[in-house]
Amino acid sequence: MLEIQDLHVGYYRDLNILQGVSLHARKGQITAVLGPNGVGKSTLLKTVFGFIKPQRGVISFAGQDIAGTPSHNLVQLGISYIPQRQSVFPQMTVEENLELGAWSFRSDKARIQERIEANYKRFPVLRDRRRSPAGELSGGTQRMVEIGRILMADPKLILVDEPTAGLAIRLEKEIYDLLVQLKEEGVTLLLVDQNIRQAINIADYVYVLELGRNRLDGPRNQFEDFKKALWL
Amino acid sequence: MQYFLSLCVTGLVMGVIYALMALGLTLIFSILKVVNFAHGEFYMLGGYTSYFLLSAFTGLHPILAVLLSGLIVGVIGLIFELVFLRPIHKGKIERPSEYAVLVTVGLSFFLIYLSLALAGPVPHRPASFLTGTVSLGTVNVSAERLIAGVFSLVLLGLLLLVINKTWVGKALRAVSQDKDAASIVGINPLAMNSIAFAVGAGLAAIAGALLAPIFSVTPDIGAAPSIRSYIIIVLGGMGSIQGSILGAVLIGLVESLGTGYFPDPSRALNYKMVFGLIIFAFVLLFRPRGFFGRKET
Repeated sequence: MLEIQDLHVGYYRDLNILQGVSLHARKGQITAVLGPNGVGKSTLLKTVFGFIKPQRGVISFAGQDIAGTPSHNLVQLGISYIPQRQSVFPQMTVEENLELGAWSFRSDKARIQERIEANYKRFPVLRDRRRSPAGELSGGTQRMVEIGRILMADPKLILVDEPTAGLAIRLEKEIYDLLVQLKEEGVTLLLVDQNIRQAINIADYVYVLELGRNRLDGPRNQFEDFKKALWL
Repeated sequence: MQYFLSLCVTGLVMGVIYALMALGLTLIFSILKVVNFAHGEFYMLGGYTSYFLLSAFTGLHPILAVLLSGLIVGVIGLIFELVFLRPIHKGKIERPSEYAVLVTVGLSFFLIYLSLALAGPVPHRPASFLTGTVSLGTVNVSAERLIAGVFSLVLLGLLLLVINKTWVGKALRAVSQDKDAASIVGINPLAMNSIAFAVGAGLAAIAGALLAPIFSVTPDIGAAPSIRSYIIIVLGGMGSIQGSILGAVLIGLVESLGTGYFPDPSRALNYKMVFGLIIFAFVLLFRPRGFFGRKET
């Protein structure tokens, strides 16, 4: 589904964060990318989503080269992104936030209504808070607004950056269950995480990065021992 | 009492015209995160464009000339945005905030000297929309100002409708609240930048064209209204649309009343802007964010 080859990315001149990362997010699977802080995991997702232009390397989605394509065009292709920080529109209501998720098909009123209903069914709490400004919600509910907003457009691939960073521990399970549920609905996920135990638990395939390069990779069962070794 | 009421009406009329200009500045600031230091010069260009349109096409209705000057200056703003401001948002400028100040101040000087070269230092005055006065109950107002005020009010209403109810308006608000989140839902923030800058420049030009028959146009006429607009948007809270409208009406009223009741009428007009500044200082003393300012996060 998403194929990355020899990706080099840097913010400043020749100081590159990513120095030749390659990975493959297989269709209908959860692919986890792990590694210590500062290894370039978030940079990887930002580059795939078009926020940063890569120096060199190939990013292809469903056979199409998308390296350097602006984000709004990627959304049309079915790629979505959940950044690590909160990204709701704080002064808009929950419902307005969801509506904006329909930007790419904004003339189709019936479909917008249907998608909003589907979201309220999935997240009943959003129906109760539909008129509240999204910025006043708790961190967990804001995360649901963000996920609901990108689900409006039925994405094929979702890039997820540390979905539970800064959230209460009791919400963790809920969020990871949701990711598994999305996978079962046929969505492909590329997950970047610090929460190694949870990420390995839900992933089908795992990549580990070190200093901007691939360190090791393999299907989940190869990492079960690794989990024990880390006393996770 | 009658004197007081007529000062209030004049103040309100000036207030809604100021609001057009301040709203343009707010729109540009909240979407592009750039303070447009050439805003007063768009105002000046609006006056000149309306003047030259009316002298080139006799028979053109003055109100139509006002709209056309908004459109023409809007296109000039759009071109400037595409050439000089877009590189900032594409991450091609190393020190974006300094660059934005320099490039808009540069545009301001360029437009002042360009109009000095083309039109000369003498004042030009486009034809009035209407002459005479209109009686509102016991108060007499000049018909020209009244029409300018009503026109601005209608335009303000339309703008608020567009911003609050249409998809473009929603996209503009989305970009102003979180640019990356707007990209995530598929909005192109660069397109919104262009729209905001063009509309903002056009609004300043419309304000300039509306006031040109009253105050005449010279190349340096933009300075006072642009300073006033900065005061208004800080007073209302940076980036707030309601705030800039409220701030503009307040400044309009205060200036009108202050000038009207100044003890020495022969010097009153020279102090016009001072009255607004006094209110400004007081509001900031007690509410540094302005009326509707967002808290820094």
